Amino acid sequence: MSATRTTGAGGSTRQRIVEAAYACMARDGIGRLTVEGVTREAGVARATVYRTFPGGRDELIDAAVAWAVGEFFIGLASDIGAVDGIAPLLERGLMAGRRRLARHDVLQHALQVEADAVVPALAPVMPKVLDQLRARLADRLRHERLRPGVDPAEAADVLARLALSLIGTPGCWDLDDPTAVHRLVHQHLLAGILADPGQ
Amino acid sequence: MAGAAEALTEVLGDGWADGYRTAELERPLMAAVRRCIVRWGLRKTTLDDIAREAGVGRATVYRAFPGGKERLADAVLCHEVVRLFEQCDTALAAARTLDELVVTGVSAALAVMTEDDVVRSILAHEPELVLPRFAFHQLDRFLDVAAALCRPHLSRFLPAEGVRPAADLLARLVLSFGFRPPDWFDATDPAAVHHLVHTYALPAIKPTEVTPS
Repeated sequence: MSATRTTGAGGSTRQRIVEAAYACMARDGIGRLTVEGVTREAGVARATVYRTFPGGRDELIDAAVAWAVGEFFIGLASDIGAVDGIAPLLERGLMAGRRRLARHDVLQHALQVEADAVVPALAPVMPKVLDQLRARLADRLRHERLRPGVDPAEAADVLARLALSLIGTPGCWDLDDPTAVHRLVHQHLLAGILADPGQ
Repeated sequence: MAGAAEALTEVLGDGWADGYRTAELERPLMAAVRRCIVRWGLRKTTLDDIAREAGVGRATVYRAFPGGKERLADAVLCHEVVRLFEQCDTALAAARTLDELVVTGVSAALAVMTEDDVVRSILAHEPELVLPRFAFHQLDRFLDVAAALCRPHLSRFLPAEGVRPAADLLARLVLSFGFRPPDWFDATDPAAVHHLVHTYALPAIKPTEVTPS
């Protein structure tokens, strides 16, 4: 997600610090992240960290989480690859997203040891993720034949919210089973949206 | 509302179960808890505050919350969920069609999330204390609760195998649109809720018509 990256002058120092903060978080947990630890990990001067992140520890955590989430979705986009149509995009996205999340060691570990810190740390970045996913789905929907009364932007919003929720928590859906995912996408998620959602 | 209580007892464990028992047994106390949270916030409310506000002895409050302050958030969440289903139980039971049922249920749930003083105050000032209950593996527990509470109503209109998927999708939609409504959706506008339910929710939970062979 390029929106979470800083480019231009100072970008590489910033990036080094962000990745150092993520490494600290991955190793010690969000609760034990300190500016000193990140400074050591990044191998830069303390003043540099404070100049780049005037908000200190909280800003470092936000930036590191935003970066990790960005990496997650860049990876997910490449897992999905080129697909034709909203249905295969959702099917592949749900399955690949679930698989990627289940194998995300840092997140899985954090959810076990400090679950109550993970969700608040993700809260600032999730609206941006939702925005990007919504935009991508809306683009796709404009090429599909929609049911009368369905607005592509609204439908994309509904689908993006449900897809993110399902990837985070599959609930009663088996996202590892292609047949089950096919049914979920065609008979439920797209049933009200496409003029011909198929079976 | 014995049905909901039984359904909940069946699916609840740990925190939710404690919270639910507390909410059930200590209704007068919960009213005091609600007032304290609106005034001071969830984090700053102490069990002593609650005792003072309720006009009961400290022992009573400590007995009601054996898990201590830590369990207060769970008690409040359960209390709100149970209250929601109690308040609209009659209306849900009176619904004559699936459309009517879902509009009634979704409207009531969104109203709690967007208009209830306590819920609004926690979401506005201390979301980090409750949001983890609605994400990743902790959301599973809530989806179980929602399914248990929705089952008797949805079963009237949906085949048995369609009930859980329907409750699952409806709960996710309500949580998402309640917590973070998009600019095209006003949860307090009945026409907007109607549009959301009819255009996007109902088709997603209705069984697909199978052509008879």
